[in-house]
Amino acid sequence: MDTVEAPQSKRQLSPLLRRLLKLKVWLVDHFRLSERQVTLIWAGLIGLLGALVSEAFRKASEIFHYLATGSNLDIISSFTHLPWWQRLIVPTIGGILAGLTLWVGNRFMVGIRQKTTTDYMEAVVVGSGNISVLASITKSLSALFTISTGGSIGREGPLVQLSSLMASLVGRFRHFPIPQRRHLVACGAAAGIASAYNAPIAGSFFVAEIVLGTVVVESLAPLIFASVVATFTSQAIHGSDPLYKPPSLDLHSRWEIIPLFFVGIIAGLIAPLYLRIFRLSEWAFTKVHLPVPVKLAIGGAIVGALAVIDPEVCGNGQSLLSSLFHQNWFWNSILWILVLKILATMATFGSGAVGGVFTPTLFVGGAIGMLYGQGILYLTPQLRPDPALYGLVGMGSFLAATTGAPLMAILMVFELTLDYTIVPFLMVGCVVGYYCSSIFEKRFMYGESLERKGAAFFNQQLAEIDLIDLIHHDPITLPKNATFAEIAQTFVQHRFQHIYIVDDDRHLMGAISLHDVKAFLDRPELETVVIAADIMNEDFPRVSPLQGMGEALYKFTEAQSERLPVVDNFTSQRLIGSIAKTDIILHLAGEQINPHVARESSPR
Amino acid sequence: MISRKLTEYLRSSIFIRGLEAKSEIEAIEKMIGVLSDHPAVKDPAALSAAIFTRQQSDPPTFPGGIAFPHARTDSVSSLVLVTATCPQPVPFRDAQIRLLFLIGVPKAAVADYLEVTSFLIRHVRASHLLDRLVMANDLPSFLAAFSENS
Repeated sequence: MDTVEAPQSKRQLSPLLRRLLKLKVWLVDHFRLSERQVTLIWAGLIGLLGALVSEAFRKASEIFHYLATGSNLDIISSFTHLPWWQRLIVPTIGGILAGLTLWVGNRFMVGIRQKTTTDYMEAVVVGSGNISVLASITKSLSALFTISTGGSIGREGPLVQLSSLMASLVGRFRHFPIPQRRHLVACGAAAGIASAYNAPIAGSFFVAEIVLGTVVVESLAPLIFASVVATFTSQAIHGSDPLYKPPSLDLHSRWEIIPLFFVGIIAGLIAPLYLRIFRLSEWAFTKVHLPVPVKLAIGGAIVGALAVIDPEVCGNGQSLLSSLFHQNWFWNSILWILVLKILATMATFGSGAVGGVFTPTLFVGGAIGMLYGQGILYLTPQLRPDPALYGLVGMGSFLAATTGAPLMAILMVFELTLDYTIVPFLMVGCVVGYYCSSIFEKRFMYGESLERKGAAFFNQQLAEIDLIDLIHHDPITLPKNATFAEIAQTFVQHRFQHIYIVDDDRHLMGAISLHDVKAFLDRPELETVVIAADIMNEDFPRVSPLQGMGEALYKFTEAQSERLPVVDNFTSQRLIGSIAKTDIILHLAGEQINPHVARESSPR
Repeated sequence: MISRKLTEYLRSSIFIRGLEAKSEIEAIEKMIGVLSDHPAVKDPAALSAAIFTRQQSDPPTFPGGIAFPHARTDSVSSLVLVTATCPQPVPFRDAQIRLLFLIGVPKAAVADYLEVTSFLIRHVRASHLLDRLVMANDLPSFLAAFSENS
């Protein structure tokens, strides 16, 4: 073919163009954003979106609360002004609406669950970082009905869910890889906590300590950035006052450190009991075979009945906690409301209502601390202990003991109060509480839920994988009378760990392991004397497409091999291919398997 | 250099001097017969069956008249070795066998099997040694011939 020489002017770059090109290269070299920097920028945007969506939820719950009670006041005040029958009926109707929302939503979510997750923790830890929009809206709407009608549950749950959903959507929109998408969802969760409690540090550490299980700079920095942006945005709307402004706290004697130390022990001993009661309430409701709306209506009715006795049981406990610190409560009143509040929270949570248990837990810890503080005041009046200080330390200690996250608990209570006086005692209480609790309890509040979801998600993923889809056909085989020379040659030519031995009809007879023979590959004396049948392992584990993926994975643990032979069935044992552990892992990670690439990349 | 494990296998092996047999089957049966009370042999019949099965496909023989009837079978708990010298060669298909090594090895002991087989073949290849081995009177003199060659 003839070629035509390009004119000289077109082949050579002009000096200006060359300089521009050099400048471009320099700029790209010096200012190209790394993945971490990109994540940080997106984390900021997620913080903003998280705060805005949290604000939208707050407004929506205020509107619905007004519609349900005809009052603009906070939940406890509204319920106090309601006649007894309305106190009973409002949470019940709220339960019905919340249950109906979940029931209708679940009917549409059957197919969605296979590709996305419904929970932010699941999305971060075991999922692909994809949170279902429909599931999140369903859960948040259900939570809206429960929370607005006095359910004893926190709104941090839906706030975190919606904020994480925003992050997930950003990740999907930008087509980020799975690890980055997961990290962004974690940022969304941190932003949700930060905007719910006006606590950016605790928001970051909540996700790092409880969800990610690690506090390393690489993962923490974007969480902090998202939390700070979310907090600033929330503060721009609500102001920057701490959630619980404590009375001025004075430590009258340094000896008080001793009784304060015991706050942690008490919290640590009660926390396992509290967690068990939670599980018991969940278990009790699962034993009642009723439609979801009826279950939630029962939960709402129990809260309503308790509200008839004392309307202070309604809501998440935030205003009750505030009142505990600012008003003089007698010990018997604290004990009374503590018992009622626990019952109300168990009824709401156990019935399956969507929401958070973070704020109710803070109340329980605060009330326990206050009760103990009043006891210390009664026994040692000369120390002049301030029960509010004990209440705050109790709040943190109990949070640490129930969540298994002492660092987050310290930071959370500090940020909720912005009072440094309590910090040293809080630190001691949280650490002691955590250690005491962990003696009796290994499954903490969020860990247990995540464990269940993780296991369910993993099992679901496993069940969805069809072994046939992952089979590599034509694995390397040798006949049973192949000489040692042929075996050695095959191992040298291919980087396989095992050679499968078949008979004339390709029935699998066994496998030869490189590990067994590698020390002898250079022994010419064996070349003609030893044959495959002499050294093959007849019992080498094998799988069949008729088996589930769970069983196949179990076989991998038996064989300790990267690959396993696949036979058509266990009767005829005809070899049809092999399956690689890497492919299963990639599949579980949500990657599309390219059989050609996988075949090249994964050792056999 | 003979490894300690290999030396143990050789020292604990059973030596049959002047094995007389008219056929491959008779020779192998006589060699398995001496293992009937061996502590490492759990099931002599199963060992016999495994060896004869192996003999049916590519029976391992070596030029000069050496045969290695063997089997990897769980009818033995550890490697067993029987050595037999045949001043009167025994017909093994196309070959006339003068020296026999019968090996029974547990299924899991692939490396032991390869180590022993490799060692034996490497040493008996030398024709001058083969003659000395065939003429050995007992196990010590048989092993001495090996050691000198090593």
